[in-house]
Amino acid sequence: MKKIITVTVNGTEYESAVNPNMTLARFLREGLGLFGTKEGCGVGDCGACTVIMDGQPVNSCLVLAVEANGSAIVTIEGIGEGGKLHPVQEAFIEAGAIQCGFCTPGMVLVAVNLLENNPSPTENEVRQALSGNLCRCTGYQKIVEAVERAASKIVCGERAGEL
Amino acid sequence: MKKTYHTVNSRVPRVDARAKATGEARYAADLAMPGMLYGALLQSSLPHARILNIDVSRAKMLSGVKDIVTAKEAGTVKYGVSPARYDETVFCADRVRYVGDEIAAVAARDPETAQEAASLIRVEYEPLPALLDIDSAMSDGAVLIHDDFPGNIGAEVHQEFGDVEEAFKGCDIVRTDRFVNKRQDGGFLEPQACVAQYAEGHLTVWSSTQSVHYVQRSLSMVLGIPIGKVRVIKPYVGGGFGPKAAVNTIELAASLMSMRTGRPVKMVFSREQVFMHSRARHQFVHELTTGVKKDGTIVALKNTCHLDGGAYSSFGIATIYYAGSLLGAPYKLANMKYDGYRIYTNKPACGAQRGHGGVAARAAFEQQLDIIAHELGMDPVEFRLKNIMKTGDVTCNDFNMSSLGMKECLDAVRDGSGWTEKKGKLPKGKGIGVACGFFVSGAGYPIYRSETFHSTATIRLSEDGGGANLYTAAAEIGQGSDTILSQIAAEALGVAFGDVKIYSGDTDFGIDLGAYSSRQTLMSGHAVKAAAEDVKRQVLEVLSDELNVPRDDMDIENGIVIFATGRPDFSAVRSAYAKEHRGWVQSSLPEGLTFKEAARLAFLKRGVIVGNGAYKPGELGGKYKGAAVGTSPAYGCSAQVVEVSVDMGTGRVTVDSMTDAHDCGFAINRTNVEGQMQGSLSMGLGEALFEEVKFDGGGRVINASLGEYRIPTSLDMPNVRTIIIESNEPNGPFGAKEVGEGAIMPTIPAILNAIYDATGVRMNELPVTSERLYTAIKNKVK
Amino acid sequence: MLFLPRFDYEEPRTLPEALDILSDLRSDTKVIAGGTDLIVNMKKGSVDPARIVSLKRLKGIRGITRKKEIVAIGSYTTAADIARSDVIARSFPVLRKAALSLGSPLIRNRATIGGNIATARPAADLPPALIALGARIKLRTKGTNRTVIPDVFFIGPGRSILGKDEIITEISLSTLPPFTGADYIKLGHRAALEIAIVAVASRITLDSPDGVIRDARIVLSAVAPTAVRALSAEGALLGEYPSDELFAKAASLAMNDCSPVSDIRGGADYRRDMVRALTIRTLANAYREACGQGVGL
Ligand SMILES: Cc1cc2nc3c(=O)[nH]c(=O)nc-3n(C[C@H](O)[C@H](O)[C@H](O)COP(=O)(O)OP(=O)(O)OC[C@H]3O[C@@H](n4cnc5c(N)ncnc54)[C@H](O)[C@@H]3O)c2cc1C
Ligand code: FES
Ligand code: FES
Repeated sequence: MKKIITVTVNGTEYESAVNPNMTLARFLREGLGLFGTKEGCGVGDCGACTVIMDGQPVNSCLVLAVEANGSAIVTIEGIGEGGKLHPVQEAFIEAGAIQCGFCTPGMVLVAVNLLENNPSPTENEVRQALSGNLCRCTGYQKIVEAVERAASKIVCGERAGEL
Repeated sequence: MKKTYHTVNSRVPRVDARAKATGEARYAADLAMPGMLYGALLQSSLPHARILNIDVSRAKMLSGVKDIVTAKEAGTVKYGVSPARYDETVFCADRVRYVGDEIAAVAARDPETAQEAASLIRVEYEPLPALLDIDSAMSDGAVLIHDDFPGNIGAEVHQEFGDVEEAFKGCDIVRTDRFVNKRQDGGFLEPQACVAQYAEGHLTVWSSTQSVHYVQRSLSMVLGIPIGKVRVIKPYVGGGFGPKAAVNTIELAASLMSMRTGRPVKMVFSREQVFMHSRARHQFVHELTTGVKKDGTIVALKNTCHLDGGAYSSFGIATIYYAGSLLGAPYKLANMKYDGYRIYTNKPACGAQRGHGGVAARAAFEQQLDIIAHELGMDPVEFRLKNIMKTGDVTCNDFNMSSLGMKECLDAVRDGSGWTEKKGKLPKGKGIGVACGFFVSGAGYPIYRSETFHSTATIRLSEDGGGANLYTAAAEIGQGSDTILSQIAAEALGVAFGDVKIYSGDTDFGIDLGAYSSRQTLMSGHAVKAAAEDVKRQVLEVLSDELNVPRDDMDIENGIVIFATGRPDFSAVRSAYAKEHRGWVQSSLPEGLTFKEAARLAFLKRGVIVGNGAYKPGELGGKYKGAAVGTSPAYGCSAQVVEVSVDMGTGRVTVDSMTDAHDCGFAINRTNVEGQMQGSLSMGLGEALFEEVKFDGGGRVINASLGEYRIPTSLDMPNVRTIIIESNEPNGPFGAKEVGEGAIMPTIPAILNAIYDATGVRMNELPVTSERLYTAIKNKVK
Repeated sequence: MLFLPRFDYEEPRTLPEALDILSDLRSDTKVIAGGTDLIVNMKKGSVDPARIVSLKRLKGIRGITRKKEIVAIGSYTTAADIARSDVIARSFPVLRKAALSLGSPLIRNRATIGGNIATARPAADLPPALIALGARIKLRTKGTNRTVIPDVFFIGPGRSILGKDEIITEISLSTLPPFTGADYIKLGHRAALEIAIVAVASRITLDSPDGVIRDARIVLSAVAPTAVRALSAEGALLGEYPSDELFAKAASLAMNDCSPVSDIRGGADYRRDMVRALTIRTLANAYREACGQGVGL
C-alpha cells in the first residue's frame, strides 16, 4: 500500500504517495525528476547516490523514501543559488576535479557538508570525508585540491563579507 | 621558435564541467521518453550448457509485458569486434558459454515487471563441462567452446625479430621470470545503459558508449537496417576505460524490441551485470626471458603469453598482439620473439582496458629489468637510461619513434622524487621503485579492415561569424575530448575558446572511431584542426579578394586578422558590418579587423561557411603478419617513481608517494593531462594491490560489487606529483600525442619494485594483497 | 538496476506500539533501523520480509547519556553519533575507533549500533569493542525485558538470541576502572569501505601503573562464527607483569582460540597469523594507554 510522505527537497516541500519499496534515490530521480542523484551500485558501495539528509550525507540508494518522511533533503540541484555556483562547484570546475562527472554530485555534496562543519580541513580530513565516494577517473588528487581551494574561497569570501 | 598560443597548452576549464558540477548533465540512465518501455535480460545461470528448450509462456502472461525476444526473434547473425572473429549472436541459440550469457530479453511497462518476466522464462539446459581456466581449456580432450577452434585456442600469434636464441648466446645474464595478473574490471562508476527508439524506419540509440561508430555499424549489420538509418548518440558517459568500446547486448536487444513494439525501450545494467558483461582486462600469464650484457645492454627478449579470454573474442584479437608488440620499446632491442595464445574459457569475455594488452606485460618486463639491474649492480634508473630509445629510433618491429621524451621523463622522476638520496638508503619496510611505460597514440588501423577515415570534423560558422559550431562523432567519456577538440578548433581558427561550441558523440556528426587506443587527441584533433583551417582558408580567400591582399599574407589570431605586411584599408568591410548592426548594442570594434567582420563578409559572398577535416594515418609499420597492431602515428612514454611502506607484520602495502612524468608530446590542456595521469595512477594502484575478479567453481563472479571488487578510495591514494613532458610530436596536432592510456603503464611495476626495495621480496602475481605479500615474506624468511 | 521486493511498512510512534506490532510473532517481519544492512540484503534477495517495522520515530532510543558510572547508548544511535560523542571519546576511545572503522562516512551516518549488533555478522565492527568493554545489551518484547552480555548474544553468522518480537533498545557500558587501556585494530584491504579480514579488540586493566594485569579481554573478530574471546590468551595475562614477551605469548595462544576459515577476504592460515600480529599490537597499545592516566574518567 502506498504511503503519503512529506519531504522537503532543496527547500521545497513535496507531498507524495510512494510505495514502501521505493528508495529515496529512485524517488528523487523518477518521482521528482532530480537526475543529478546517480546510481552506480545501489548497495552503498560507491557514493554516487549521495544526498544530504537532515544535515548529513547519506547513500540514498539505501534509504527508503518512506523513511525520509519529514526529513529535509538536499541534492546536487540544491547546491548553488539562483544560477550562481557554490564555491565548491566553482572550485571543482577550476581545479579540474571533474572528469566523467558521475561521482561529482556526491563529491560536491560531501565537500559542501564537510566545509559547513569544518571550514578549514586538513588534507587527511578531506580524504576521510570523501572516503565513501568512489571516483575511478581522477585518482582523487584534483578533487582533494578542489576542496582545499573551496575552503579558502569560502574563508576569504566570509572575510570579504565581514569588511 | 616557440609559438605563442592562445588556448592550447592552457588550463581552460572543461566545457562540460558546469553541467556536471550542477547535476544537469544527463547520462543514458537519466533519459526518459513518452511511452517508454523498460527491458530486462535473462542471462545464463550455467557456465556451459546446451539449450534444449526455452519456454516464455509464463512470462508472456504477466500483465505489463510487451515483448519477449530470444534467438528465434533476433536471428543468429554473428557479430563481434573484429571481423576476423565474429563469434557472438545477440542471444544464445543453442548454447550458453558463461554465467551471464544472454538468452532472452523482455520489454515491459516498468523495470520490475520486465525483471519479473525475465525470471519467469524457463530454460532447459544440458550442462557441458565448464572450462574455467587456461589449463583446463587447453587440456587434451577438453570440449570445444567454439567448434572451429581446436584446443580452445581462439587466436595465436608468433613473431620473431632478429634471432633471439642466437642473441642469448652472447649475453652475460639470461633470466626467465613468470608473471601473472588477474582479470580486472573497468570499475567505471556508470553502469552501461541505453535507450533505443525505432520510428518510421529510423533507429536512434542513446547509449553509454565509447564509440558511436562501432555501435552504429554493429546495429546496422546485426539488425539489418541500412547504416544511414541508424543513429547512435552518446549522452554524457560516466567513464569507460575500454569495456564500453564495443556494441553490447542491451543496445542490440533494446533496438530489436523497439523495432517490434514501436516504442522506445530503455535498458540499464545492474552493477552485477557490469561484471558479468566484463569486456575488461584479461588475465595474462607471461613468461619472459631477457638477455643482457655485463655493461647493461639489453640484447634480446623472449615473451610467451597465455591470455584467459573468456567465452568470446571481443577485442581479444587486438589484445593478444598488443601483449607482445608493445614490449621492447621504449628500450633499444634488436631481438624479440613473441608467442601468444588467447584461450577461450567459460567466463565472461575479456576485452580492452586502459593500456590495452600491455599492462601486465609491462609490469612483468619492468620488474624483470629491475631484477637484472640489481644483478648487474647498476642503479635501475641508470640501467634504463643506458637502454632507452630516443626520437628518430625505430624498433625491431618497425615502430617509428617520431618523438620520444623518455630520457626527459626518467630525469624528471629521478630528480622530482629524490631518487638518488633515497635509493638503497631507506629503512626496512620502506621502499622506492622506478619503472617506465610506453603506449600507442591511436591504433594505426581501424578494427575492421577499411580505408575509412578515422576521424572527421565539420565546423560551421554562424552567419555573423561570432560562433563556430564544431561537429564530431568523437566520444567524450570523461577524458576531456570535448574540451581538447574545442581548444584545437579555437586555436587553429584563431578565435576565442568561448566562441567554439562543440556537438559531439553522434553518428550524424561524422565518423569517429571513438575513445579507445588513446587516439582522440591526436586523430580527432587532426580532423578538427583541418576543419578549422579549412574554415579559416575560406574566410581569408574572400577577404583576399576584397582587400586585394594575398591570402598567404594574412592570418587570424585571437579573433583578429593579422597582416604580414602593413595594414590594408579595410574601412569598407568595417562600415558594411557596422551598417548591418545599426541599433545593436555592441562594444566598439578594436583597431584591427576582427574575425567576425571577415566571417560576415565571407557569409555574404559565399553563404554558410562550412569547413571539413578528415584524418587517417598514412601507411605505418612493417609488412609481417600482425604488423598493423601496435603501429601508431606516434608513441607516448612515461616514467614513475613510487615509494611504499610495507607493514612487515601484516603484509599491508601503503603507497606513500608517486612521482610520474609523461611525454604527451604537447599538452593541449595541462589540467586534463594531469587528470589522465592521476586517474591512471589510481587505476594502476588498484590493479597492483586490490583488484581481482573472482569466480566460484560454477563460473559465477563472486565479487561482482564495488564492495568486494575494490577500486582505490581517496584514503588509498597518496598525494601524487605529475610532471608533463613535451617532446613535440611531428605527427600530432600542435605536437600532441597520447596520455589517457599509456599513463597507467609504469605504475604497477614501480610499486612492485618499491615493494622489493622495502622487503627483499619479488611478487610475480597480482594483486599484491596483504596476504600474498605476508606469505611471500614469511616463505622467504623460512 | 536492483529493486526492492514489495512489503508493508509500519511506522510506530512509541516503543510499546512497536512491540505490540511485533508481538504477533510473524516470521516475515523485519525491524529497520539505518537500513544499511537490511536494504542491501533485500536488494540482493537474501531476505524478503512482507512487513517492515521502522524504529525511526521511536523516542528515547537514540543518543548517548551518562548517569554516574553508566553510559547508555540508545540502539538507534549511529556509528557517526558514537564517533562524534565526547562522552565516548573520553570514556571509551576504543569504541570510537571501532565506530570510525565501520564502512564509510556515508554508511556511518545511517548505520546504527543496534543494527550492527542485530545483524550478528562475524566481522561486524562494534561487537568486539563492546565485548572487550563488558557492554550489556537491553532487549525488550511486549511482555519481557532482559539484559544480556554480547558474549552470549551471538550464536553464529547472522544468528543471535534475538527473538522475532524483540527489539534491542539500549547498550550500556560501565565506566572503566583506573589503569585500564584498550585498542581495536581492523585489518582490511582498503583504507575505507572494508569488512575486516581480521580484527582484534583488547583491553587490559593494571593493578597500578607498574603493577600486574588484573583484568584482560581479548576479542577476535572475523575468525570464528561470531566474535570470540581469546580465553586462553586472556588467562595467560592475568596476574602477570606486562611485557613484550608476555603479549607475544598471549598472542600465540590467541591463535588457537579461534577457528578461521578461508573465504573471499582471506585464507585461514593468514587469518590465524594476523590474530597473533593484531593481538600483540592491540595489547601493546592498550598497555600504553593503561599506564598513562588511564581512560577511566
Ligand atoms: C557499503 C557498506 C559498508 C559496510 N561496512 C561495514 C563495516 O565496515 N563494518 C560493519 O560492522 N558493518 C558494515 N556494514 C554493515 C552495516 O552497515 C552495519 O552492520 C550497520 O551497523 C547495520 O545497522 P543498521 O542500522 O543500518 O541496520 P539495519 O539494516 O536497519 O538492520 C540490520 C538488521 O538488524 C535488525 N535490527 C536493526 N535494529 C534493530 C533493533 N534495534 N532491534 C532488533 N533488531 C534490529 C534488522 O531487523 C535487520 O535484520 C556495511 C554496510 C554497507 C552497505
Ligand atoms: S548507488 Fe548508492 S552507494 Fe552506489
Ligand atoms: S569523475 Fe568519473 S568517477 Fe569521478
